[in-house]
Order: sequence, then structure tokens, then C-alpha cells
Amino acid sequence: MSDEAKWDVVVVGAGAGGAAAAYGLCRRGLSVLLLDAGPHFDPATDYPLTESDWETRGFPEKAGSKGKVTFAPGQKLTGQEPLLASGSRGLGPLVTNGVRFMDRYEHVRGIGGSTLHFTGEAHRLHPAAMKMKSRFGVAADWPVEYAELERYYSEAEQLIGVAGPDSQGARWRSQKFPLPQHPLSYAAQTLGKGAKALGLDWQANSRAALSQPWNGRPPCNYCGACNNGCPRADKGSADVTFIQAALATGRCTIRSDSPAIRIEANRDRVIAVLVGRADGSIERIACPNLVLACGAVETPRLLLASDGLGNESGQVGQNFMDTLFITVGALHPEPQHGRRGLPNDAICWDFNAPDAIPGVIGGCRFYNGAGENELGGLAAFALRAIPGWGRAHAQSVRRQWGHALHIGAIGEKLPNRDSRIDLDPKERDRFGMPLARIASSLAEADIARLRFMAKKSHEVLAASGAERIYETYSSWDWFSATHVFGTCRMGSDPASSVVDPFGRSHRWRNLWIADASVFPSSGGGEAPALTIHALALRTAERIQKQ
Amino acid sequence: MKRRTVMALLAALALGGGAALRRALAALGQQAPEPTMAAIADTLFPGGDGLPGASALKLHERVLAVSDLQDSIGKGIAWLDKYAASRGVDAFVALDEAGRLAAIDAAFASTDDGIRPFVFALRQYLGLAYYADPAIKKAFAYTGPPQPDGFADFQERPS
Repeated sequence: MSDEAKWDVVVVGAGAGGAAAAYGLCRRGLSVLLLDAGPHFDPATDYPLTESDWETRGFPEKAGSKGKVTFAPGQKLTGQEPLLASGSRGLGPLVTNGVRFMDRYEHVRGIGGSTLHFTGEAHRLHPAAMKMKSRFGVAADWPVEYAELERYYSEAEQLIGVAGPDSQGARWRSQKFPLPQHPLSYAAQTLGKGAKALGLDWQANSRAALSQPWNGRPPCNYCGACNNGCPRADKGSADVTFIQAALATGRCTIRSDSPAIRIEANRDRVIAVLVGRADGSIERIACPNLVLACGAVETPRLLLASDGLGNESGQVGQNFMDTLFITVGALHPEPQHGRRGLPNDAICWDFNAPDAIPGVIGGCRFYNGAGENELGGLAAFALRAIPGWGRAHAQSVRRQWGHALHIGAIGEKLPNRDSRIDLDPKERDRFGMPLARIASSLAEADIARLRFMAKKSHEVLAASGAERIYETYSSWDWFSATHVFGTCRMGSDPASSVVDPFGRSHRWRNLWIADASVFPSSGGGEAPALTIHALALRTAERIQKQ
Repeated sequence: MKRRTVMALLAALALGGGAALRRALAALGQQAPEPTMAAIADTLFPGGDGLPGASALKLHERVLAVSDLQDSIGKGIAWLDKYAASRGVDAFVALDEAGRLAAIDAAFASTDDGIRPFVFALRQYLGLAYYADPAIKKAFAYTGPPQPDGFADFQERPS
């Protein structure tokens, strides 16, 4: 037990937000202890993509790399939604009991966090999506303008080496992407023909994957396996970008396998964080400044488990927004072999603005989903795409392998009163800390947005020449969230938000949050990592100025 | 479907439990389950066109080792043997190929308690193992490991 602070700032969580915050603090001369509940991953040895059984391994699980959560009962499904119901011709329907399947919160605990297994899309938020309340009467406004975030976006893109196109419409830029865009894969080109036939703009996605050598990292070789972990380190996960840069300052100390279990506070300041050790003991670490970056599930959990620290507004854990998604797979007459190339290499932003979808507020975007969906390889294809068994099945697998096309869409998820994070009243971890409990519900507007996403996906596939839909998976009946937001909302009003526009607690003067829990709205399907980086860099700058 | 969901099924192919099943079946007076499970595996995934069937890859032995399936394997084999008896033969293994396929078809279509989930689970376990086997994958294009070479031809029509 010690009351003597050894670091200027303690950062809890070494993912997209914590890593960027640590870098931003260290480069401004502050010393940082960066903690994470999970282990180190070594790209060279932990991602065995040269092995023949690569597809059955997925992203590796190591001791402590998966946190436990519980789920509130799933939403009762009403009405028939043939375009949204999850299932495949080979596996049948995913849900048969009429209740939304609360399956999983996709995340990684470890040095690099969920960026270790992310696809690596690098998106700036649509500027209009930051003004949902004042312009459209829903969710809440961001208390920061796109124009103010722009230079932090640029800083993050430069450090990562983001590759992207010359223009992304409303997302104006002060400078070009640091690297040229990636060429489109063959499957993306096929989908692009369909999109263009419908009058849609189908362009290269901006990607945290190197199209040229950058800062000592090699360019991508288009293996398609970003979600399994990148052994080449060309993918811009936080461990090979922000954390390396933070370590290079000589002012960053990293400690893995160190879950924060409670925060101590006094008067108007937090004074220490209690951290679990592998042997079951608890260490007390004094912290002049504390930055929480555990994500929109674990950050509210830690606050609520610390006697509701920072919850003066009652908003900690509220406004939970998860991933509104759909993916549709179809068979094309010609072979595509879509696992070749970067996953999500092409994107359509045409419906991304909050008012772009007719009749419903909140945008979405479409992308080439082949890479993410074909990582299961031949076995997953054989079982999902081809129904049946026996010789007829075997012959169809031989004939159709490689003919799959996938399109995916992600859309705005608006907050509602039935979607939140709270503490499970019974389940606890090994240190006695209550587990986070996830409750998620879709409102009619979310379902309407999903219907549009499904309908447009079918249209693009058909226009691309695909002839038979073989699977649909959507968040209408399946909670499987990767992007989560909103549970410690930032705002100017202490009565309706948890942190101020710079990420600092309204009540506790040295408590900061630097992850997607501060998002007042989710955006129209943008991947959040780059925005998390930008906000964290801005928060770090503020801490130093203070 | 997320690949993690699909691949999690394969992780269920853990060792252990096969001996317990054999003991349980022996106690019931039934024969060892290997021949029947091999026949089921080959009916579901028979190979052909130069590819081996599932039993040649010994996948039925891996299924028999899945401890979670022990109870349903015994009941499932009993159901298939009963179906065979209704067709005038002693057991599922005594049916010809067309008869076995008809039995499996009937199992998938049946509303009898437990048989459809049983054959559905077998399709998952055996299918994932079968099409992930190097002996099968080598007959299909673009099934090799992603690294170290990646896909230099990713922009082009597949070769």
C-alpha cells in the first residue's frame, strides 16, 4: 500500500483510447502507468496464420483476454422480418424462440485491446452525426465540433499510417491521408459494378493497414485475416502504433494482467486505483490523474463498482448503444474468392448522413463484407452456404466454393431507456467485483433503419450478378456487438452527462474518460477506433495543459 | 455469422468421454458405437471425386470422444437402428447407401425428441472437421494459410 504517486497519470485500459491517451501524455512530458486487465500479445508468435488449421483458431484466447459479462433478457421479437431474421441455408434460423439472442460482446482484453482483432477501418465521424439532438431531435449533441477534432484525427492518422482515398465527402480534411488508398479486391470490384449500376458511390475504404512501408512497418500483403491478428504488424492496432510511440518516449510503463477493481476518491479528487494481481492479492496505486479507457461496458462497470463514482447525474451506464448491423451473403455465378484482399476494402457512404435514409433519422454505410465473413474458410462455407448432406452436398460444395459475395452494413443506433450497462446483482469476478450486465433493446427507428440496410444490400447483390441469398445475420435478433458506445456521455451539462467536453468528470477533477463510452451518439456506422484515438489525444493535451 | 461463432463449435471437439460411452452402451447390451458412427459420418460426408469420406479421416472417432455428446449419441444410434428395423434390417449399418441416406433424411425431418438436434450437431461437428482437414482442403483453391505470402492476385479474377 502506498500513497506516493510514481507516475503523473495512471491510464486504465490499453486499447484504442488508453493507448492513444498514454502516447499523448508521454509525448508531452508526463509519465504514465498504462494498465490492462489482459495479457500481452506477440504478433510474431501469437497469430499463427502460417499454420494449416488457421481458420479453426480464430483470434487466440489467452489467460485473461476475455472479460466476463452477463446479459439481461433479450427483447421479444415482434412481427415477421424476413429480411432481418438471422440464419443461413445450411444452418437454418439462428433464433427460433421469438426472443433476441443475447450472444456476445466481442472484445479483447490485452495490450492493444480490441484493436488487436479489429478489422482496422479508420473512419472520421460524419460532422452532421455529431449534432443529432439539435438538428434531428434524437440522442445528444457532441459538445465538440468536427472542426476541433480534425487536427487530432490527422495526428492519429499520421501515427498509424492510414491509407485512404483523396476525398470522403463531408469529412473534410486539412491534409491528405498519409498513405495512398489500397486497390480493391476482385470481390469488391464485383460489388462495385452493382453499386454503380444503382447509382451508388463505391470507393476505397480508409484503412489502418499500410499500403506502403511506414515507420518501420511493412505494407499489407492482402492475406485477408485482419480479424485473426496481424503477424506482420502492418495493421494499425494500438500495440504497434500508439503504444510503441509511447514507449519510445521512455516515460511509459506498461503493466498487463492488471485489472482495476475499484477507485478510491476523496473530496473532489480520485486518489488511488486498486488493481488485482495474478496471485489474487490487491495492489493500491496512487494516481495524481486517472484516465479510464476500458470501453463502454467496463468503464461504467468500474465506476458503478466504486460506489457510483462519477454518477452524480445518474447517467453512468445509461445511453448504451451497440452495433446495428446486417450482413448478407449470396452466391455469384462466377468465382470471387473474396477472402483475398483487405477485409472491408470498399465502402459506400451515400446513406451515412443522419438524414440520408428516407423516412428514418440516422445513417448507415455499406461495405464489402467478404473478408470478415469468409475467414471461416472452406468449412464455414460448406456448412453455411450449402444446405444438406451426402453426395449432393459434397458436389455443391465443390461447384460453389469461392462463389460467395458478402455485403455488410452498419448503422446508427440511437440510445433508449431499455439499453444500459449495470452491475449484475449476483455474478462477480475472482476479486469480488460485480460483472457488467448488458441490456440492449432496439426501437422501431432502429429496426426501420435495419430494413433499409437489408433492402439496399439485396439490391446491390442482385445488381452485382449474385443469384441466390444464402445467409443473413443481423442485430435485429442477434446481439453480437463489436462497437459499443455512450455509457459515460460527454456534455456541457453536469445534470445530463458524466464528463465534460474534454472527457473530465464533472465532479472529480482528476478523473478522465477516454473511450467510446463518452460518445453522445454512435455515428452512422463509422468504425469508432479513429474517433476514440482523436478524443483521447485531445484529452491528453488537456490533462497536460491543466 | 461471425467466424468466431462457427469456429467455437470446432473447439468442442475435445478429448474424453468415448470410453464412458462404450461402457454405457455395453451396459445396455448394444454393440460398440464405432461402426454405426462411421456409417453415419460417411453418409453425411461421403467424399467422392477422389476425396476420402469422413470415416477414412477417423472423424467418427473424434465425435465419439466429445463428452457433451455421450448421451445423445446413444439415443441417436438407437433411433437410427429403430428406423432400420422398420425397414426390415437389423441395424443402421445393415442398410445400403440409399437406405442410410433415407434414414438420415428422416432424422433431420423428424419431430421425435432429440433426434434432429443430434444429427444437426453431427453435421456441425463432422462438417467443420471434415472441411478443415488438410486432405480435403488441398482439393480446393485458396484454402491455404493466409501467411506468409498473402494473396498477390487479390485484384484479379481467381485463377
